[in-house]
Amino acid sequence: MTCHRIREKFPDFLIGDIDETTKMQIQGHLADCSTCREELESLSTIWTRLGVLPEERPSEALRSRFYTMLDAYKQVLEQEKPGPRLQTILSNGLERFWPRQPAFQFSLAMLLLVMGLTGGFLLRSTQPATAELTPLRQEMESMRTTLAMSLLDNQSASERLRGVSLSSQMKQPDSRLLETLIYTLENDSNPNVRLAAVDALYLFRDLPEVRQGLSRSLAKQTSPLVQVALIDLIVSIKEQRAIDALRSLIQDEKLDPLVKERAEQGLERLL
Amino acid sequence: MTDNQLMQEVRDGKVEKLAVLFERHHIRLYNFLLRLTGNRNISEDLVQEVFCRILKYRTTYRGTSTFSVWMYQIARNTHIDYLRKKKEELPLDEQWQEAPSPAPSLAEQTELKEDIALVQEALSRLPLKKREVLVLSRYQGLKYREIAELLGCHIGTVKAHVHRAVKDLRKIYTELSGEAVL
Repeated sequence: MTCHRIREKFPDFLIGDIDETTKMQIQGHLADCSTCREELESLSTIWTRLGVLPEERPSEALRSRFYTMLDAYKQVLEQEKPGPRLQTILSNGLERFWPRQPAFQFSLAMLLLVMGLTGGFLLRSTQPATAELTPLRQEMESMRTTLAMSLLDNQSASERLRGVSLSSQMKQPDSRLLETLIYTLENDSNPNVRLAAVDALYLFRDLPEVRQGLSRSLAKQTSPLVQVALIDLIVSIKEQRAIDALRSLIQDEKLDPLVKERAEQGLERLL
Repeated sequence: MTDNQLMQEVRDGKVEKLAVLFERHHIRLYNFLLRLTGNRNISEDLVQEVFCRILKYRTTYRGTSTFSVWMYQIARNTHIDYLRKKKEELPLDEQWQEAPSPAPSLAEQTELKEDIALVQEALSRLPLKKREVLVLSRYQGLKYREIAELLGCHIGTVKAHVHRAVKDLRKIYTELSGEAVL
């Protein structure tokens, strides 16, 4: 074999994936050819040297992040599942009982209508059935919270936007979610996400921690769009505690003139 | 249960089985990304992203190639997307200085640590394509046939790349260490 053909086998030699015959051929060649011998030796040395890099272990946080993500994904899957399945059960059932003759179809429809009206009338007079639904509703809310929080933590801005919009659908968001939303408003790298967070927090404006968070985050905003949205919101909810924050914002020399104007108008309305 | 069987179950809706695949592979995957990026935090973020993508694209898993090959394909794309995003975010003048940073804590006083830092630095100076094939064959224990499948090229090309990569690494290493031993 020529030197060229022998050297083509070196990569196989390095990972030890080589049959006996080829190995013998290589060794035979190396015995006579010092250039190839030196070449393989030096390749092997660096190959071995690469072995000094130890295998490292990631932090425990990676595992817990993975399981949070997997749980959230499972919940979404389960939420989506009942829809089509219930539909198939219903349509299969209906098909079996639905009469073929139009006259019978009409009678059955009337019967169902009467039953529905009677049922509705009877139910209205008894206790409302909310008691059974409460735990179910609570469970849904907590699932939504988990999902919203994991979305807000996502690398992609569009996923975080989804997280904000999901949070805004909550009736009574818990304090962890509110904290995350305020954190997003203060620190998210994307102004669109921060803007969406302003809108979402507007819905929970009556909660003291939200009001406090809004005035605090005013100083941290850099995008004029977000600043204006935040000023408008603070003025509309008449948040007196934001007066100081507005004052120091106006004094900032680098402030966009339009934002400054808006802040001055807002301050007048608050005072 | 093999990786492929597990992934087929994940594909068919038993997503909780992904936990087993995570336990089997996340350390290897983390080390793969660590060799490419030289940064621990970024590598952890990328591992999380890889498993996110596995869930997202689970229905596209065909089982024709081994799970490892499929997983490394996703990992490779995740890493490339990360580099692209990083380029977009960095102002132009900083891009020129950008080189994958070796983990600084490794560079401590003892001889072994110096050696580790040297290898790490040499690896980080290798162009990405060569670094990938070298890491996959040397550290991830993938066969050349698997790497060829992963990269979508001929097995001969992979071998040529590995050969070239080791030679280039030897040159960089010699320059860095100032030794003429190799």
